[in-house]
Amino acid sequence: MDKREFLKQLRKGLSGLSRADITERVSFYTEMIDDYMEEGLSEEEAIQRIGTVNEITFQILADASPVPKKHNSWKIAAIILGSPIWLSLLISVLAVALSLYASLWAVVISLWSVFGALCSCFLAGILSGAVFAATGYIVPGVAMIGAGLVCAGLSVFVFYGCKAASKGAVLLIKKAGQSIKSNSAKRRVQNA
Amino acid sequence: MDIQLKRGLLDICVLAAIKDGDSYGYKIIRDMKPYIALSESTLYTILKRLEMADMLTVRTTEHDGRLRKYYHITKKGLQRIENFKREWNEILSIYRFVTKEDAKNG
Repeated sequence: MDKREFLKQLRKGLSGLSRADITERVSFYTEMIDDYMEEGLSEEEAIQRIGTVNEITFQILADASPVPKKHNSWKIAAIILGSPIWLSLLISVLAVALSLYASLWAVVISLWSVFGALCSCFLAGILSGAVFAATGYIVPGVAMIGAGLVCAGLSVFVFYGCKAASKGAVLLIKKAGQSIKSNSAKRRVQNA
Repeated sequence: MDIQLKRGLLDICVLAAIKDGDSYGYKIIRDMKPYIALSESTLYTILKRLEMADMLTVRTTEHDGRLRKYYHITKKGLQRIENFKREWNEILSIYRFVTKEDAKNG
């Protein structure tokens, strides 16, 4: 194994640590390998001297303090003292999210109500046209029926538009939910 | 050896290795080798701990077109070595007390 491969594997083995910690440790081992090589060891021998990645990660665990992490009481105090700030921020963020959600559905609902209006115009046009025609007003009656048919035709187009809009809205909400979930999961991994 | 005791002793050893002049990782291990074997990973942990405790400072310099970290002992680090020397007498007398029975029997 050459130095590059070794350092790559080491980086992978240390991936549970913070980024700064990984960089520092990797540069430490890089310096060690370079110094061994400067003393006349081959690259292979220098890496053997350092040990395997497994040995290194095991050593890190063994060297880690067995004392459990103290609860930072000042941290808790800061959270409580800062509540007027973060609480109001949290509420406003939630309010913005809620309003976005509501306006999305408002758009969908208004599209469907256009569809509903067209449908009722169709029915009303046919009905009133028939009444007009029956009472002797032939020409306005025919015009009413025609208008009703036009509404019916438009409603077919609007129906497909409404369907697509509803589908899109559902998809958008699903995606937003997923990205929030994966973000919080990532954060949890980083904090661990 | 008891892990806490060993940890404390190794800290002193590393401080002693940089006492008479700044040194770097490889040289510290090489200088300690005749007395005590130390793995690179253990050395890293010790150096980090001593840095956190303000017993040494780190400076990065260029060497042969690459970077090398030099470790410099602080006053606090020197103090730690002096304390250890004083404590050692205490440890010796504890040792004598502990092995008293053995000496009688043996």
